Amino acid sequence: MKILTTVKKVVDVELTMRVEDGAIVEDGMQYVINAWDESAVEASVQLKENNGAETTLVSVGGGDNTDMIRRCYAMGIENGIHIEDPALDKADSSIYARVLQMVYEKGDYDLVITGKQAQDTDSGQTGIILAEYLGLPCVSNVVAIEVLDGQHIKVSRSGDAGTEIVEMELPALITVDVSINEPRLPQMRGIMMAKKKKIEVMDLAALGVSADDISAAAPRSEIVEYMASKTRKGGQKFEGEPADITAQVVDLLANEAKVL
Amino acid sequence: MNPFFMSLLLIVGLAIFGRTMVHKIRLLMALGPANRANHIKARLKNLVVLAMGQKRLVGRKKEWASGLMHALIFWGFCVLLIRSLTLYGEGFVQGFQLPFLGDRYILGYLYIAIKDIMEGIVLLMVVYAFIRRMILKPARLHNTWEAYFVLGMIGVLMISDLLYDGARYYLIMHHNNPAHLHFFNNPQYGSEFLWTPVSVGAGVFLAGLSADVIGYVMICMFWLHIITQLTFLNFLPLGKHFHVITALPNVYLKKLGYPHQKTKLLDLENEVAWEDESLGINHIHQLTWKQGLDLYTCTECGRCKEVCPTYITDKPLNLHDFNDKLKLELLDNADNIIKRAKLSATIKQDDAADQTDKIKTEMVELNSKKELIGDVIAQDTLWACTTCRACEEVCPVTIEHVPRIMAMRQGQTLMAEAYPKELNPSLKGLERNGNPWGIGYDKRADWAEGLDVKLMADDADVDYLLWVGCAGSFDDRSKKVSTSLVKILQKAHIDFAILGVEEKCTGDFARRVGNEMLYQMMAQENIETLNNYGVKKIITACPHCLNTLKHEYPQMGGNYQVMHHAEFIDQLVKEGKITLRKSLEDTLTYHDPCYLGRYNSIYDQPRSILNSISQDGLKELDRHGRESFCCGAGGGRMWMEETIGKRINLERAEEIVAKKATRVAVGCPFCLTMIEDGMKELDKEEEIKTRDIAELVAESLA
Amino acid sequence: MSKVLVVADIKQGDLKSSTSELLSKAKAIGAERAVVAIGGNIESLSSDLANAGSDTQYIANDPGLELFSAGPYTTCVVDAARQFDADMIWFGFSESGKAVAPRVAAQLDAACATEITDVILEGGHIEVVRPAITNKVIQRVKINTDKLVAVVRAGAFEAVEEITGTENVVELSPPESDLKAVIKELVSDASGEIDLADADIVVSVGRGAKDQAGIDLVKDLANDLSAGFGSSRAMVDGGFMAHNKQVGQTGKIVAPTLYIAIGISGAIQHLAGMNGSKVILAVNKDPEAPIFNVADYGIVGDLFEVVPILREEIKKLS
Repeated sequence: MKILTTVKKVVDVELTMRVEDGAIVEDGMQYVINAWDESAVEASVQLKENNGAETTLVSVGGGDNTDMIRRCYAMGIENGIHIEDPALDKADSSIYARVLQMVYEKGDYDLVITGKQAQDTDSGQTGIILAEYLGLPCVSNVVAIEVLDGQHIKVSRSGDAGTEIVEMELPALITVDVSINEPRLPQMRGIMMAKKKKIEVMDLAALGVSADDISAAAPRSEIVEYMASKTRKGGQKFEGEPADITAQVVDLLANEAKVL
Repeated sequence: MNPFFMSLLLIVGLAIFGRTMVHKIRLLMALGPANRANHIKARLKNLVVLAMGQKRLVGRKKEWASGLMHALIFWGFCVLLIRSLTLYGEGFVQGFQLPFLGDRYILGYLYIAIKDIMEGIVLLMVVYAFIRRMILKPARLHNTWEAYFVLGMIGVLMISDLLYDGARYYLIMHHNNPAHLHFFNNPQYGSEFLWTPVSVGAGVFLAGLSADVIGYVMICMFWLHIITQLTFLNFLPLGKHFHVITALPNVYLKKLGYPHQKTKLLDLENEVAWEDESLGINHIHQLTWKQGLDLYTCTECGRCKEVCPTYITDKPLNLHDFNDKLKLELLDNADNIIKRAKLSATIKQDDAADQTDKIKTEMVELNSKKELIGDVIAQDTLWACTTCRACEEVCPVTIEHVPRIMAMRQGQTLMAEAYPKELNPSLKGLERNGNPWGIGYDKRADWAEGLDVKLMADDADVDYLLWVGCAGSFDDRSKKVSTSLVKILQKAHIDFAILGVEEKCTGDFARRVGNEMLYQMMAQENIETLNNYGVKKIITACPHCLNTLKHEYPQMGGNYQVMHHAEFIDQLVKEGKITLRKSLEDTLTYHDPCYLGRYNSIYDQPRSILNSISQDGLKELDRHGRESFCCGAGGGRMWMEETIGKRINLERAEEIVAKKATRVAVGCPFCLTMIEDGMKELDKEEEIKTRDIAELVAESLA
Repeated sequence: MSKVLVVADIKQGDLKSSTSELLSKAKAIGAERAVVAIGGNIESLSSDLANAGSDTQYIANDPGLELFSAGPYTTCVVDAARQFDADMIWFGFSESGKAVAPRVAAQLDAACATEITDVILEGGHIEVVRPAITNKVIQRVKINTDKLVAVVRAGAFEAVEEITGTENVVELSPPESDLKAVIKELVSDASGEIDLADADIVVSVGRGAKDQAGIDLVKDLANDLSAGFGSSRAMVDGGFMAHNKQVGQTGKIVAPTLYIAIGISGAIQHLAGMNGSKVILAVNKDPEAPIFNVADYGIVGDLFEVVPILREEIKKLS
């Protein structure tokens, strides 16, 4: 089985996001592998270890992704492709999906695993749109994978009413949730081996896409402005007669926070 | 008596003993290197105080009786060594005398008097030891047939010698010495038997027997003594009583300075080491010769487990059992280890790569067939240790348990990648954000907001760097300690700054769980930062940071003068830079943090501070000072769940509750968390407040 | 005048309130409103759908649609969108919505935006507002296409009471089932305990509950809310709760819509496991408990008093 995993480099969500002039302040920011993608990598490596597979990862954009890709190598991924092109600066999910489509079509993959969303946008679209472009069967929010035979896998999806068990014919695409596994922490041996491995870095031309085409395919959506969000600070604290304050808080939960 | 028989016994006895010892020593020589040849004076001092003086046996209040028993037997043996030589001589020449110890000298008389009394005392001690093992049965003792057998032999040695002298006395004094036996009878000092009351007393058992029978008894006792002694000598190396031979060298070769062998700084880039699986201890042959000697020396006395926080709370770590298993594995593989070392020696002379590979393949075949961790020592056992060093502090023969555990953890993490995976989130937090909670590094200095604390980035020309540590920076409870410490430093007009977001975890936690890679990464980054700012003096509120900065960073080129805040505050008080009010009314006790006390010998300063603020003075816990009881968080345990047995912090909290303290002082953020959690668990957090020394001092500033 | 197609949120045969909230918003921006409902046994829902505020109801009712399958559901939504000629297709906040929306967008060549909290029609184009980076920032996103497929974040729009619609049912032909991704089984949450990681609401119990009786009290609250039931490390250590129920650094990391911490002081270990929650409610008797530093709503009081009142008040809501 050949597995393609997509990986995105995102801001470290543990950091405080400061917004100035409609943009996130980059100073002091650090970038890490998207947590959902890390689970996708782990899932790929586990399939390799348990069922035998060749694993390839692809990342699109993000500048120098060497560290992130080497980290994935250290986790057990065998091949890495990085697509970097200035034309991708304003890419949205559908453009990422188009680029990934080209990568997929250059290989002979049986399974595509993506994280269900990226921590920087929390959009959760790229994988699903990619499946549409490729005409592949797709299940999102996967929490377990089982290989049935060379042509079929069985996945569990966390759905609205419970866990949905879906049998898929390969080639297929799944997007995974972080609860699918606990990604391993790269260890020294893997890190040393990873240093010796090559990363295939390509621009769009090398991929066979004209940069003009991508520029012309103006993104369907673009972020025009960032605004600061309420940071998690202590909110309202109520002291007093239990019956009164509890009623008051339930009212706020229902009507202000709208979570009940 | 009988030179031929004496020669035969000596030749056979010493030949067998020699053969055993050569094998044991060859095995040690085949193990890894350890440099213990330096500082002869300090080593001799240890030998005198710890070994000859039996300090850890007689010096512990809780164990004084059995300690004294052991010491008396030991001292008795020392005295009797000379007596043995005389007896061997007697085997060849009747009336043999050692130079200066013969009947012409008062020294000779004094010696026989001391020897006589010591034999009596040793015999009494053997009786006490029997009673102790059979009736009193202290929990730490591991009762084996071997122990009884050895005690029995010691008893026989004493009885035979006493009866031998008793028989001589009877023959000489009551039967007119028919065999013309030699005895001390210097007109100046009188008869030998005026000096040997115990032997004379033993002679009473022979009263009423005929001279012939007493003569036989004397000869029998003589040979019984000699044969028992040679049997004893040959029996020693076979079991735990090997310590009779190895304890003295083991104490002499003990690590000096820092309390134990520091964790080895591994060369992680060394590809050969990776191939040979020689980073950390992964195989029994990777022990150093000193660790091998430690295993030979373990007496299974069980003092280690008696003070071990994990053993007390029903974890699977039982140190004497741990040592015993390693020793058996070592001995089981002795021949292969020796062969392996020989093969290894041939590599260095030969450069051809394929030849080297061939030898290495052969060497690998000689590896033990058992997994060191898994088959010999269980995973849970290895990871239970909190590295508190209580075991090392009480071990009478100075075995270094913790460095061995650390090296085995290194092997597990680096080579086998078999460390507890529950550590991953914390390790990842360290990797990404420089703290085990994984909180954004950018929030590291948030606690200091509004406190008017300088950042090194703004002004590096300060006298002291305040190393805040992860807990002091991120943990809400410990932030209060940081704040208190700042208040004290400001009150004393100390010129200091913090690193703020540039500070990262020292890496202590990563190192204790064997993740040398992450430790070195953290250490390297920190040292670079510290050296860039030219930092010389550091104050820290965390004993773990203290230990790493002070003792481990020098291995990587970071040399600083590091002080724990308790040391520093004590100094401020003594210099008169701050004045404390004796205002604390509570019943105050103090919990010694392991990395402050046992690792860094800081016992007095915290006590001095606490005594100067407490109206009633400090009330010590039963387990305090060198024998303080761990909170359960050291050795990376803070970041692992404690699922086996009783929780260690609860055990400690109960001890504090039982002392009827109303306040417990600590000097470590982990102890603070653990003890406070223990109090909450016992629903005592209101009555017994857990406070850091800095907090108490800040409240008592005049 | 724009045309908004709202995808009805149906759970266990019932129409959820989000449908009417979305239709209310559509009305507020002056759009024509249609709804598409997909399911296995929903013929009786047409009047509810109209009452929720739609003027046209596209209904795909087929036994094959009983269980959710993204492919056929997408076909139905696309079919309805084409028939209605919708400019915007809005999904309520649900796993099925998140799965289907990008597919619909791809098939309609439309833009897609998820988790939106607002839609603004401005100068001939659409803009949406949505949180990103685990709620740490808000994005304003300009839509460059005529069509937008959006998933609306829970509670973003308010239902207006006076909204009405007309019943005008258009039956959609049943889609072909997805032969390459066949749904075999639905393991219902109702049968077992709700997985903490997936739960919309998580109720966690801490040391304040003291013992099993206290835990049971809090668990009743969790049951009332169909919430996941977790705990702090203390209760796991105390042997009261299973290890897989522990929320925190070394346990489960959860980010539900509502996190209710009962009797939990808020050790940093615990906070690390739940501070991604959208809204946090804390009940603790210690006003200084660190949990209040992160809680949006805090009740200072004894949980044994507060929890029963909390249950009563919540029951009054439904």
